[in-house]
Amino acid sequence: MSTLVVEVRNVSKTFAGVEVLRDVSLSVARGQTVSILGPSGSGKSTLLRCINWLEEPDRGEISIAGQRIGIRPDGKTLMSDRELAAMRARIGMVFQSFNLWPHLSVLQNVTEAPIHVLGVPRDEAIERAERLLDKVGIAEKRDAYPYVLSGGQKQRVAIARALAMNPEVILFDEPTSALDPELVGEVLTVMRALADEGMTMVVVTHEMAFAREAADEIVFLDQGRVVERADPETFFNKPSTDRVRQFLQRYS
Amino acid sequence: MDQAAFSALLAGAWTTAWISAIAIAVGVPLGLALALLREARVPVVGHLIVLYVSLGRATPLVTLVLFIFLAAPLFGFPLDRYTAAVITLILNTAAFNAEVWRAAIRGFPREQVEAARAAGMTRPLYFRRIMLPQIWITSLPGLVNEMTFLIKASPAIAVIGIVDLTRVTNRIAAVTYEPLPPIIAAAVIYMVLISAFVRLQRRLDERAHRLTM
Ligand SMILES: Nc1ncnc2c1ncn2[C@@H]1O[C@H](COP(=O)(O)OP(=O)(O)O)[C@@H](O)[C@H]1O
Ligand SMILES: [Mg+2]
Repeated sequence: MSTLVVEVRNVSKTFAGVEVLRDVSLSVARGQTVSILGPSGSGKSTLLRCINWLEEPDRGEISIAGQRIGIRPDGKTLMSDRELAAMRARIGMVFQSFNLWPHLSVLQNVTEAPIHVLGVPRDEAIERAERLLDKVGIAEKRDAYPYVLSGGQKQRVAIARALAMNPEVILFDEPTSALDPELVGEVLTVMRALADEGMTMVVVTHEMAFAREAADEIVFLDQGRVVERADPETFFNKPSTDRVRQFLQRYS
Repeated sequence: MDQAAFSALLAGAWTTAWISAIAIAVGVPLGLALALLREARVPVVGHLIVLYVSLGRATPLVTLVLFIFLAAPLFGFPLDRYTAAVITLILNTAAFNAEVWRAAIRGFPREQVEAARAAGMTRPLYFRRIMLPQIWITSLPGLVNEMTFLIKASPAIAVIGIVDLTRVTNRIAAVTYEPLPPIIAAAVIYMVLISAFVRLQRRLDERAHRLTM
């Protein structure tokens, strides 16, 4: 049994004739944090969205904890809605724009999927949600509705919502890009703590300090290709391509 | 107006109320089903629904109720006038409701659906738990609007001999030779029925507004 939680093999994806991902491979071991960096439009979101099959890759294979997503074990037919949902339940996702459900309170946002997808008894789900909200520092807002929260608070709720499913891995798509600068820190603090605890994470970000300190590996995408893959120390201090050097000049 | 006229008026009001109530109770979910089928983009079904919605919205109620009442026996299932009236109002209001629901479904934020799918919800589950509770609130003002239109248009069913709240005023006037009092009384009853809906609509508008903040 491999310890790879996410395995992306030779994935390509075209949108309207434009190749957005070209032969991308990536693997994330259990407990690892991998940061995906790259200029805007380089395919970072698309790659992340292929991992939980919100986008269907044109070519290549993606496995979660050894099980292929999207395609049935026969290697040909597509998974049904129900089969895909069962796979996605094991993959958390945190979006740039939070995507909380506005008709549900903070607590309900966190308990909704555990109760209705996993079948966790309500009391248990609530107890667990309260612990998670406490952990992300927002326990006092449990009965508030999303619209009264700041961006930073919304994103911490979204992280608690992802954690509540006990996922194998959490995918973060620029989780701090929509936040006012003074709110970025509170979200990154939570994410650092998760990385330290050994949560498996794939993080698309423009926060270089976070990538440098929290990531075990950096993957650099440019025009849909993996241009560089290195540990943070090497990536930031001795990048091997000009493309990365240019990028780092702009962002640090 | 005497006691007999007054009870006749109430009977007419009751007829309008129950026929409209059934049409609303069936027409609202039917409109949703039509909107969902149309948005599901099943090739032939989608076109049929588009055709139905445009016909349903374009055909005057009087024409539709006459057609249904008179044509049904030709197709081998004669309808009594009340059934014909209820079916007519359902077909009419469902066509309008389908458009209200469809606007809400189309406007539903993609991000919320993606969050639901990413959390492992199947389509039926996210429809029931995430989408429906919200499109219900955003659609209700429009649906209530259609309900008031339906009540106001319902006198058309008198053409096949149903004595509703409007028709009964003629009957009363024919006996009393005083047409105005029953008409004024009927107008008041319509106003009471409709203002209840309008008040409901105002309350729901506020809720819908809060949700979109
Ligand atoms: N659903 C889509 N339809 C068409 N083009 C898309 C779609 N999603 C992304 N793209 C295009 O694919 C490219 C990569 O997008 P994306 O993965 O969002 O990049 P990044 O997240 O690195 O900024 C962009 O040029 C974008 O315009
Ligand atoms: Mg992106």
